[in-house]
Amino acid sequence: MIKEPNFTGKRIGVYICQCGSNISDYVDVEKVREEISRGKGVSLAKITMFACADSAQKEIVADIQNEPLDAIVVASCSPKLHLNTFRGVAERGGLNPYNYVQVNIREQDSWAHSDKPAQATLKAIHLIRAGIAKVSLSEPLTPMTIPAENSVAIVGAGVAGMRAAIELADLGVNVHLIEREHFVGGRVAQWGKMSMTNQTGEEIITELYHEVKKRESIRVYTGANIIASKGSIGNFNIQVKIQPRYVEPPCDPESFKKAIEACPVEVDDEFNFNLTKRKAIFFNYRSEFPAMPVVDMAACTRCEECLKYCHGIRLDQQYRIIEIHVGSIFLATGFNPYEPKKGEFGYQEHPNVITFQQLKRLLDLTKGEFRFRGKKIERVAFIYCVGSRQIDGENKYCARYCCTSAIHAAIQLRQELKVPFIYHINKGIRTYGKQEILYEQSSTSGDVYLQFVEDDPPVVEVLNNPIKVTVNDLLTAHMEVTVTTDLVVLITGMVPRVNTELISILKVPLGKDHFYNEIHPKLRPVETMIDGLVIAGCCQGPRNIAESASSALAAVSKVYSILNKGEIKLEPTLAIVNPAACEWCGKCLEACPFDAIERIETEKVPVARIIESNCKGCGMCTPVCPTEAIDIKGYTNPEVRSMIEAMSG
Amino acid sequence: MSDDFRNSSLNELDALVIGGGIAGLESALNLAHMGFHVMIVEKDLSIGGRMIHLSKVFPTLDCSACITTPKVSETARHPNIEILNHSEVKHISRDENGSYRAVIEQRPRYVIDSLCTGCQDCEEACPVVVKDEYQYNLVGRKAAYIPFSIASPRIAAIDLDNCILCGACEKACGPGAIDFTQETRITEITVNSIIVATGFKLFDPDRITRYGGGKLKNVVTAMQMERQLVPTRPFNTVLRPGDGKVPDKIAYVLCAGSRDATVGNPICSQICCMYSIKQAQLILGAVPMADVTIYFLHVRAFGKGFDEFYQQAKMMDVQFIKGKIGRIKELENGDLMLRYEDIASGQVKETQHDMVVLSVGILPNMGIEKLFGDEKFKLDPFNFYNQPNEMTDPFKSNLPGVFIAGTSTGPMDIPDSILSAGAAAAQAAKYMKQHQASISHQATTPL
Repeated sequence: MIKEPNFTGKRIGVYICQCGSNISDYVDVEKVREEISRGKGVSLAKITMFACADSAQKEIVADIQNEPLDAIVVASCSPKLHLNTFRGVAERGGLNPYNYVQVNIREQDSWAHSDKPAQATLKAIHLIRAGIAKVSLSEPLTPMTIPAENSVAIVGAGVAGMRAAIELADLGVNVHLIEREHFVGGRVAQWGKMSMTNQTGEEIITELYHEVKKRESIRVYTGANIIASKGSIGNFNIQVKIQPRYVEPPCDPESFKKAIEACPVEVDDEFNFNLTKRKAIFFNYRSEFPAMPVVDMAACTRCEECLKYCHGIRLDQQYRIIEIHVGSIFLATGFNPYEPKKGEFGYQEHPNVITFQQLKRLLDLTKGEFRFRGKKIERVAFIYCVGSRQIDGENKYCARYCCTSAIHAAIQLRQELKVPFIYHINKGIRTYGKQEILYEQSSTSGDVYLQFVEDDPPVVEVLNNPIKVTVNDLLTAHMEVTVTTDLVVLITGMVPRVNTELISILKVPLGKDHFYNEIHPKLRPVETMIDGLVIAGCCQGPRNIAESASSALAAVSKVYSILNKGEIKLEPTLAIVNPAACEWCGKCLEACPFDAIERIETEKVPVARIIESNCKGCGMCTPVCPTEAIDIKGYTNPEVRSMIEAMSG
Repeated sequence: MSDDFRNSSLNELDALVIGGGIAGLESALNLAHMGFHVMIVEKDLSIGGRMIHLSKVFPTLDCSACITTPKVSETARHPNIEILNHSEVKHISRDENGSYRAVIEQRPRYVIDSLCTGCQDCEEACPVVVKDEYQYNLVGRKAAYIPFSIASPRIAAIDLDNCILCGACEKACGPGAIDFTQETRITEITVNSIIVATGFKLFDPDRITRYGGGKLKNVVTAMQMERQLVPTRPFNTVLRPGDGKVPDKIAYVLCAGSRDATVGNPICSQICCMYSIKQAQLILGAVPMADVTIYFLHVRAFGKGFDEFYQQAKMMDVQFIKGKIGRIKELENGDLMLRYEDIASGQVKETQHDMVVLSVGILPNMGIEKLFGDEKFKLDPFNFYNQPNEMTDPFKSNLPGVFIAGTSTGPMDIPDSILSAGAAAAQAAKYMKQHQASISHQATTPL
């Protein structure tokens, strides 16, 4: 039965926000106020410039106490922005925060109907009436408190993951650092010299890994993947599958070296982007961590040659599955370099068309003269924005790090390897901030910059040697310039790493660009829609190393803020079962995406029960219940019906 | 502010945050959420920094006031945060425990905080009109005034430099909040960590004589245009200042004072391309018949969603012309003739516009380096605060326990400033934990 909202006797205060002019430019707020103030139960209706401003909040608090009011309605922006702000106001005024309703007359009204101000005004009145109807029936609710596990699972032991692990450990949080590969370091380990500081990736990773190993509260798992996750903020139960490395201590480095030499299998070395070969038992570089090789079982022929030299090799090792219990999950799963398609600017049609990542490995491996496939390289042409800022392709975004990084590599080519001719065929150089200095340095030291426009990319001719690249050059008033070169480097951008399974297990929200998505880039830049799941580094979008470290530490602040209190407050707007009405049909169990419903036996019949720590209050269970035995606190069926009536009335 | 806090005579806190802009607020809030007690020292009358004055922000086009005010009011209310407005840190020294002692000077606002209701009666009564710096001099304000409508705290202040001491405000003030006897107050606090978040200075385009040296009536800075586009905009439309005409051919001059060694600023300011593209989109909403042309060197749309935002502007018919403006000349009717090399055609061209916006950049806001006495707080080659270990310890300064956040480290947009503030807070939190542990270790270790 629907209670008549206007007879609940609550004294309701309604505040209509102008939002500067975001609302009042299109909605006639004075008219809305007049209409609303006539409604039953409305003790006062006021217009405010910015309801969220401190002064307006104080005014509402004073009204609640002086009038006094039993409930408030604020008609302003989306509750996504200010629900908690005004719940706080209600609370400071002495009301239960759930005796507050926010009505969205900005995103859902003034902005959406800016071309029809009269109708927008009418819609605002109806929306606010619905809000008043809901608040008339609202019941006081109390948040539930659950203990939170003081530990975190960090996924990805690249620069962002390791940096965060160190800081969280020092703040007293137990850290599980889960790395999919058999070695830590992520992409930075492959990167050689860095722009701006000239440190190498290897140096950075070595420094970070030593710091990680110093801390007993960090456990590192390599070759490890999350295969299942249950629970929610404060209490996630995660299963981690650890792949065997087929090698275990003790075995000294000399024996490892001999075992690797003895291995007869050679495959492409993906660490060097297939520029070199490696054995089936391998490590990537001398100081790599953990300092133990790994057997690539896909390539291994089980000839057992290596066993002759090293007793630490265990070809029969099995995978293990461990369970960990954490309060928060921290994703730092990084990026993949864009892989050009065959034929894209001559890629895989001519061996001297390589990617930027390959160039960086080459630079790291080169000692002395710069040679490629046996020949000295004197002319290098960079083609920028390969796989980024695509007109036709999927990757509309700018990959951010590449301009600066490529120019830094060019400076290294010129200064250290004495390459005299370097061409930068670009789409507009984006060396933002202090990185501008590198661009200045490169362009004044003899590098040639040619710029193409979006719909007229350069043409690479690979049929004859040397390679020819033709550009319609914007910088010389569209002169057609042809560059002959020994090496073409495709400045390939970033794409998200393929993590399909992890994304589906953790329900990670993705953006249009397929990177992990934050809730809001300014308000909540490291949090996701999944409470307790934070993101950092390049899994969120392209960044350089310093920016990745910055975002990782910002996420540390967030995780520590969640965990340091030892407990988590949960929203009380959860599902509730009326056992008297429940006839256990199981439909709610099927509908629940969060495993929050279980069947329990009572004296007479089995009924549904809500597991409150898992329930998100999403409401999927309520419409499927044939007997209306299940409801959402704060969004009960009577409340929702009264809103619909008020809106249509 | 909690009562415990107010009554504490020890003035011992965990951390001092210098600067109440978005980076300072975010740093303080993060520390407060982690359980630390923080003081924010803000030199302005209100916290909120530059961000609270912006219109919509790129690339999401959120209303800036709407996303700044929740942070502002959360900070103002947080029991672990104390705010000193209208205040400056005058001196910082380090004691034998490694804690910092800061001397803070709070200038009087000549209004008793606890009595002022923000009713603005004093403002109405005051006969003095001066330029309103919060509206970037587009309009006037009184000498007795509330800084701006969403200021925090929203209480009045008397601008004594311009006050004629007529006493009209005193008479008008019902609660009797005006107090001309207020004096500068000195506060001394001891903290274990400091976060410097002092922001940036805007480049002053008057230094560029090629662009009229500030004398051309219809040439405005981007901040002046920004104020014409905010929800609380003074004119409710876009007007050119020379004669109040609604402009219909607006030009943006990018890199005005950035990437320009001739004015002493060789680096890119990182935000101007994007805010210009944003303003262009907003202008097309506010003045639908207007043409907007952006003269650029390179469009630096590098962040998440930025390039898509740039493409969107092109779809909306914002014109982009690659070329540096060499000279701006004023015509008799107030219009402006822009002379530039049109890179795409290779020709020197002149084009007439009726309003020009200079997209001015970011300069360092120095000063903190002088507060530490003998200890040297280092600057980088561009006079931003130095980050000795940018890659792995990004917001640590060269002094122990002192961290830096936001644009005090270099040009940065809002999302990056907010991340930097979160990062600086994490680093400061860790430092304080270790510092406290070492002090208590010393205290319990017998000599």
